[in-house]
Amino acid sequence: MKMSTESHGFSLKEWVFTTDHKRIGVLYLIGSIAAFAVAGIMAIMIRIEQSSLGPTLVADVATGGNQYNVWLYFHGAAMILGFLIPGLTGFAANYFLPLMIGAKDVAFPRVNAFSVWLFYAGIIMALLTFVVSDAPDVMWTGYPPYSVLTSGNTAFYVFTVHLLGFASILGAVNFLVTVIYMRAPGMGWNQLNMFVWSTVTAFVIQLVFVPVLAAAVTMLLFDKYLGTHFFDPSQGGDVLLYQNLFWFYSHPAVYVILLPALGILFEIIATFSKNPIFNYKAAVYGGMWGIVLIAGEVWVHHLYISGMPDWIRIGQMVSTLMISVPVGLLAISMFGTLYRGAITYATPMKYATACLFLFLIGGLTGIPLAMTVMTVHLSETSFVHAHFHYIMGIFATFAVFAAVYYWFPKMTGKMPGKKLGDLGFWFNFIGVNVTFFPLFLIGVQGMPRRYWNYEMFPQFEPIHKIAMLGALIVAVGMFLTILNWIISAIGGEKAPANPWKSVSLEWTHCPNPPGPGNFPKDVTVSADWTPYNYGR
Amino acid sequence: MSHSTTEHAHHWEVSWAPLVLTAGILFLVPLTFAAWFVYQNHLYAMVFAGIGTPLLLLGVSKWVSEGLSHKPLLEGVSPKALPIFIISEVFIFLGLFSSYWAMRLSAGDHWPPAGTPAEMNLVLPLVMTVLLVSSSLTYHVAEHKLDHHDIGGFRSWLMITIVLGLLFLGCTIYEYNHLLHIGFGPSTNAYSTAFYSITGFHASHVIVGLGIFLAVLIPAMAGKTNKYFAFCAGLYWHFVDVVWFFVATQVYYW
Repeated sequence: MKMSTESHGFSLKEWVFTTDHKRIGVLYLIGSIAAFAVAGIMAIMIRIEQSSLGPTLVADVATGGNQYNVWLYFHGAAMILGFLIPGLTGFAANYFLPLMIGAKDVAFPRVNAFSVWLFYAGIIMALLTFVVSDAPDVMWTGYPPYSVLTSGNTAFYVFTVHLLGFASILGAVNFLVTVIYMRAPGMGWNQLNMFVWSTVTAFVIQLVFVPVLAAAVTMLLFDKYLGTHFFDPSQGGDVLLYQNLFWFYSHPAVYVILLPALGILFEIIATFSKNPIFNYKAAVYGGMWGIVLIAGEVWVHHLYISGMPDWIRIGQMVSTLMISVPVGLLAISMFGTLYRGAITYATPMKYATACLFLFLIGGLTGIPLAMTVMTVHLSETSFVHAHFHYIMGIFATFAVFAAVYYWFPKMTGKMPGKKLGDLGFWFNFIGVNVTFFPLFLIGVQGMPRRYWNYEMFPQFEPIHKIAMLGALIVAVGMFLTILNWIISAIGGEKAPANPWKSVSLEWTHCPNPPGPGNFPKDVTVSADWTPYNYGR
Repeated sequence: MSHSTTEHAHHWEVSWAPLVLTAGILFLVPLTFAAWFVYQNHLYAMVFAGIGTPLLLLGVSKWVSEGLSHKPLLEGVSPKALPIFIISEVFIFLGLFSSYWAMRLSAGDHWPPAGTPAEMNLVLPLVMTVLLVSSSLTYHVAEHKLDHHDIGGFRSWLMITIVLGLLFLGCTIYEYNHLLHIGFGPSTNAYSTAFYSITGFHASHVIVGLGIFLAVLIPAMAGKTNKYFAFCAGLYWHFVDVVWFFVATQVYYW
C-alpha cells in the first residue's frame, strides 16, 4: 500500500475533477489568494486616490467619480466573500479538518467539489465587474435605495452572494456531518482540535445565517429588476428591512471569519509553546459556543445611526458588549497557553503573535463603537474603517498566512523559506500598522469613511499620505510572501515528517503530503490522547 | 463515529459531475438572468439558457448514476445530512416571512394596500393543501412498498405522487394567470410583492422536489433504487408540504 504522491506525476484531470478534500482545499487556496490579490490592488488604488485632496486616480470626476465606488465594491466583496471566508472555511477547513479527526475524506466528497466550483463561479461573477461597462458600485453591503436605483449592475453583486452563499451552506452541511459521524474511533468531543471546534461553530453560523442574506439580496434583485416593492416605502415596503436582514447575516459573518482564525492561532500557539490548551472547555463551550449564542442578537448595532427607538439602542449596546465575555474567554485561553511555554518563533508563530497584537487593538477599539454615546460620533468615520480592518481584515488575513506557513510542509512536503518569509512578515506587519493606526486618529477628528474627495478636510491629507506609504509597504510584503510560497513549493528544502514537533493527528499519522485516503493505516485514538499532549 | 472498514481505493477520486453541474448553474441562472433582465439581450439569454440547461441535466444525471453505483465512505449518511440542510432552508423562508410580517405589521390600517383584489380566491389554496397533503401520504405508501421490495408498487405510487405535485403546480399557474389578468402582478404593491415571492419561492421548492422525484423514478424504471435516496426525496417533500401550511395560513387566510 504505497501512499506517496510522487509516483503519480501531475494529472490535470485529477485536479479539475478531483473530489479529494486536500486538493479541493488547495483549489480554494488558489482561488482565494487570486481574489485577495485583485482586491489588494483595489485597496492600493483606494489608498493612492486618498493620498491627495482632489482626484488622484479617479478619471471620471465629471460623472461623479463612480470608478472609486467600483473599487470599494470589489475590494470589500472580494476580500470578505472571496478571500477571508473561503480562505478559512474553504481552504483551511477542507485540507486540515478531516486530517485532524482521522477521517479519510469528508462525508460528501462530490458535494465538496460542487462547493469549490460554486465558489469559482462566484469569483467569475465578481470578476465580471471589470468586463462590463455598468460595474456594480454598491459596496459589499448593497444598501437600498441606492442599490435599486443605481445604473450599476446590482445583479452581479446578488449572484456573487448567491453562488458563494450556496457553496458555504453546502460546505456547512458537509463538514458538520463529517465531524459528527466520521471522527476516528475513540475520539470524544473533548479531544477535538481547537481548529475543529472553531470550524464547527463557524459552520453552524453559516448554516443558519447565510440563507437570510440570500433572501435579502434576492429581494434586492426582485426590487431592481422585477419591480417588486420590498424596500420601497412608497408602496408599503421598508427600506431599513434590508439593513436588518443584511446584518442579521453579516454580523455573524464576522464570527465566521473570527472563529476559524482563532482556531488556527490556537493550533500554532500550542505547537510553538509546546503547551496544552489552557482552559480548553471554557474556551470551547463558553468561548466558541458563547459566540454562536450571542452572534444572532447583536446585528442591530450596525444600524445605530439608521434610526431606532432608544430602548433597542440600549439593548443592543448591552448585547454587543456581552460579546466581550466569550471573546475574553478565548483570549485568556490563548495567553494561558503561551504562559511558561517553550516558545520558538518560526514564521507561523511570528504571524500568530502579531495576530494577538492586532486582536488587542481591534478588540479594544470595538468597545467605543459599541457604546451608544460614542458611536454616534464615530460612525461613518475612518475610525470604524480602521477598527474592522484591524479585527477582521488584517487579523484574519494574518491568520490565513500563519496557516499557510504552519501547514506548508504538510501540503507541499517542503519547508517554507525562512529568510524571505520573515522579511515578508516584517513588511506586512509594519505596513498594516502604518496604514491603519493613523486612520484611528483622523477618524476621531471626523474624517468620513469612503470619500475619495475630502477637500473640506485638508488637514487630513498628510495622514492619508502616511497611510498610502503603509499600503505600499504591505504590497511589498505580500509580494515577498506569495513569491516565497511559490519558490519554496517548487525548490524548497525537503521537510522532515513533523518539522514543528506537533502531536496533532495531521502531523503524527500521515505523510507529507498525504496521499489519497490520507492515512496509511486506519486511525484510532485512546481515551487519554489529546492533540495537545505535550507532557506538561 | 465509526469508519467503514472496507479497503479504500488508493487512487485520487474524481468526478466530473460537480464541475459540469456548476457550469450549468452559472449559465442558466446568473448569466441568463443578467442577459435577459439587465442587458435586455434576449438572444444572449437564450444562448446562455441553451448552454446551461443541458449541462445542468448532464451533471445531475451523472451525479445520480454515480450515487446509485458508488459506495459512500459512510453508509446511510444522507438521511443524517438532509435535516441539517433543511435547517438552512427554514431560515430562507424565515427571512421571507419576517419581511412580510415586518411590512404588514408596520402598515397598520393601510393593509391590504391599494390594488389588492377585494376577494382573493380562498377555495383554491384549500384544494392545493389537499393535493399536497395527499401527495405526502402517497409517497409514504410508495416508501412502504420499497421497504417490502415491491419496486413495481414503489414506481406506481411515486408516479401518483408526481402527478399530485404537478396538479399543485397547475393550480399555481392557474391562480397566477388569473391574478395577472385582473392586474395584480408582483409589482402592484407590497402585498403582491410578498404574495408572489413567498408562493413563488415555495413553488420553486415544489419544482425541485419533483425534479428529485424524477431522479428517483428514472433509475427505478430500470430497477435501480437506493433506499437512502428515496428517503431523502420523501423527507424533502414532507418539508415542502409543511412549509405550505405556513404559506397558506400567512399569505392567504390571514
